[in-house]
Amino acid sequence: MTIDWRSYDTTGLWDELITDSHRARKGAGNLCRVLAGLSDEELTARKTAAELAIRSMGITFTVYTGEGSGSIDREWPFDIVPRLLMKKEWDQISAGLTQRVNALNRFIDDVYHEQQVFADGILPPEYIERSKDYRPECRGVSPRYGVWSHVCGSDLVRDADGQVYVLEDNLRVPSGVSYMLENREVMKRVFPELFEEYVIHPVDDYPGRLAACLRSLSDVRSPQIVVLTPGIYNSAYFEHAYLANAMSAQLVEGSDLVVGTDDMVYMHTIEGPVQVDVIYRRIDDVFLDPEVFNPDSTLGVPGLMRAWRAGNVALANAPGCGVADDKVIYTYVPDLIRYYLNEEPILPNVPSYRCVEKDQRDYVLDNLDKLVVKPANESGGYGMLIGPKASKAERKKFARQILANPRNYMAQPMLMLSTAPTLIDNHVEPRHLDLRPFILSGAKNYVTMGGLTRVAMRKGSIVVNSSQGGGSKDTWIVDLES
Amino acid sequence: MTHTLSSTAQRAYWLGRYLERAESTARLVSVNARLFYDLPKRLPLGWQPLVVITGNQDVFNEFYDEPSEKNVTRFLINDARNPSSLLNSIEFARENVRTLRGIIPRQAVEYVNELYLYAKDSLSEPLSRLRRSQSLVDIPKFTQRIEGFMSANMLHDDHWSFFRLGNYIERADMTSRIIDVGTDNMLADVVELEPFADIQWRSVLLSLDAAQSYNTEVQEPINQAAVLDFLLQNPRLPRSLAYALKSTRNGLRALPRNDQALRRVNRLRRKLAGFNLTEPEQIREFLDEVQIDLADLNSSISRTYFATATKRSPVKKISKPADKTAADPTHSGQTARSTKAAGKQRPSSRRSVAKRRPSKKTTSSNAEKGKSRS
Repeated sequence: MTIDWRSYDTTGLWDELITDSHRARKGAGNLCRVLAGLSDEELTARKTAAELAIRSMGITFTVYTGEGSGSIDREWPFDIVPRLLMKKEWDQISAGLTQRVNALNRFIDDVYHEQQVFADGILPPEYIERSKDYRPECRGVSPRYGVWSHVCGSDLVRDADGQVYVLEDNLRVPSGVSYMLENREVMKRVFPELFEEYVIHPVDDYPGRLAACLRSLSDVRSPQIVVLTPGIYNSAYFEHAYLANAMSAQLVEGSDLVVGTDDMVYMHTIEGPVQVDVIYRRIDDVFLDPEVFNPDSTLGVPGLMRAWRAGNVALANAPGCGVADDKVIYTYVPDLIRYYLNEEPILPNVPSYRCVEKDQRDYVLDNLDKLVVKPANESGGYGMLIGPKASKAERKKFARQILANPRNYMAQPMLMLSTAPTLIDNHVEPRHLDLRPFILSGAKNYVTMGGLTRVAMRKGSIVVNSSQGGGSKDTWIVDLES
Repeated sequence: MTHTLSSTAQRAYWLGRYLERAESTARLVSVNARLFYDLPKRLPLGWQPLVVITGNQDVFNEFYDEPSEKNVTRFLINDARNPSSLLNSIEFARENVRTLRGIIPRQAVEYVNELYLYAKDSLSEPLSRLRRSQSLVDIPKFTQRIEGFMSANMLHDDHWSFFRLGNYIERADMTSRIIDVGTDNMLADVVELEPFADIQWRSVLLSLDAAQSYNTEVQEPINQAAVLDFLLQNPRLPRSLAYALKSTRNGLRALPRNDQALRRVNRLRRKLAGFNLTEPEQIREFLDEVQIDLADLNSSISRTYFATATKRSPVKKISKPADKTAADPTHSGQTARSTKAAGKQRPSSRRSVAKRRPSKKTTSSNAEKGKSRS
């Protein structure tokens, strides 16, 4: 036997499957038993089967290889040990996510209309005006249902005490959902017997839910929906193609679309122009419309903002929704929930310090060696300082950056991210992970059953991004009662 | 119902053309190499005809002093400055297929990739005769595998129709060019010498992989009239002009808004059916007309179906310094090609050939390139 849970070391950390006393957590018993019962050869065979499945299913992600050489497709890194969450806990998390996204959408709508939130002193207006993703061009536009962020991916982490926190809300163009779906497919091929042992909630209704959400954004009976991709060299192109296919929507690039003199959006087809009603856009705001934003953009569609403002096309997510996807605004989310919904937050934020406020900034500067400092508007783990792991010189340099532009930074204590057993050279070791569920908002809300679990494959690392050596796991929402 | 985008239809069409072009080029070089080794050394035979076939003699003359075996094979196989070189055709096919993921079966996409990797690896310089001849024989195996897989597994939808259209129009063009060169009188001296009498037309048949079929179907010794009739008119030979045009018509029939293109292809078919010429000069003029008509058909298809899709997202640049004729790396445009007739004025009301078949100075690919970068 190659997996021995007694030698699995979780000291000081919260492990998703195994307790400090080397026992399986509630619900994980069968899984741990099955895994421990596999011989060396069987374990290798399963791992190989997973790799084969990923290759034959063509599950890839794109890595930029640097200047001039472009990019290459890599096979999706996948760990065969699943991550388990109890349905009961998940229901609570799910309700918390819906609550957050609803409050955030109310906030974005308010920012682009009355700005009551500033008048009432919940947060100062200069935060918005100086936000990189605030788009004055969106003022006065009223997307259906007041929803701006139709697809949100929130990152959840669990600290050493077992508490789940929201680390950030990706409100602009979050990716990863196709990998959540494909991970489940791979898992079914590799461990079919486990699906008999457990009641695992399915995830594969997502494309249908997304299509319904997008349909609800148009008043046309059967709207023409397109997925707008930057093209094959984008790191998430696999996902764009996957979702378009699964929704029977058209996958288009900017050059396939044109805005007519009637301010309607059309796509070029071999039968001539066909009107487009809903665009699930997977390109950033600034590239959307060269007439309004970056004039050099070849990815977007000239006139698209005109068509959107005229209400002739729905854009998901709406332009300008990134105003709430700002790590400094994040620190206000609990207040926004209370303000807009008159409810107490169900899911807590990670305690955070705003560098723009003097006393908090002073604390941050004095404690850089204990904190993680994040820029307001970066994603993918770029531009961060992980204080405890940084050198003195790096911290000094970062302190200067903070002082030069305090609005751009916030800091959080370094969480001890939870771990889960991960197969490393035919035995299991704890590796840190997070979880990205996806929340849809249109006529109604929908939260995925679980989400994409990302795992840092390097020992001790907490960087889970696939572009930086992260892997992934299938995520099971398990119901013991039914 | 999903629609067929102009852009993806265009890529499928050019995928079809480039794969067919790659295969024809590989076959052409390997067959002719074999053949030239048969000929007596004292005969003034060059490799020039191969350059003429691909219609890029101007480019060739710009970069090479003489049409030696080494120069010509390098030019046709792996010279990046030749827009229709074998490696360029394969690279363009690959670029097109990359943007057709989700439309073309995954496996076929992988096969195209394998072809690209194989060609790049096995046909790079320095290229010995032995390595060249072995590798060229393999190219059609790769292309046939791709097309066979697509035929058997891909949805036979509009994209498929465009892919096949690309195949057949390229094939019609290539067949007419090969016959064109075969009709040249450069071998006039040779054909009077036994045992080389039939070598010219045998070479043409071999280039089109039609020698065996000729023996089965014609049962007459190889001679100009019989070979011409076989390669132009035979309804059962997949590489005959008649077959390629009939298939082009069938492909068009499955598409919407096909009237203009159908009219053109039918006119060409009627012209072919009435072919009854014996003088080499007349035959060559007829073949020039065929090539011009095919170029017109190509523009008609582009105008009708792709006109709006010429602008596309930036695709990785292929570095070709100082190369004015490099094909558009986005491969939406036809690569430069001209006939020996280019520049010649046609009588009557026809527009000048040079205008229709742009020579390298005004290649459509250059125009395309400018547009695609905007």
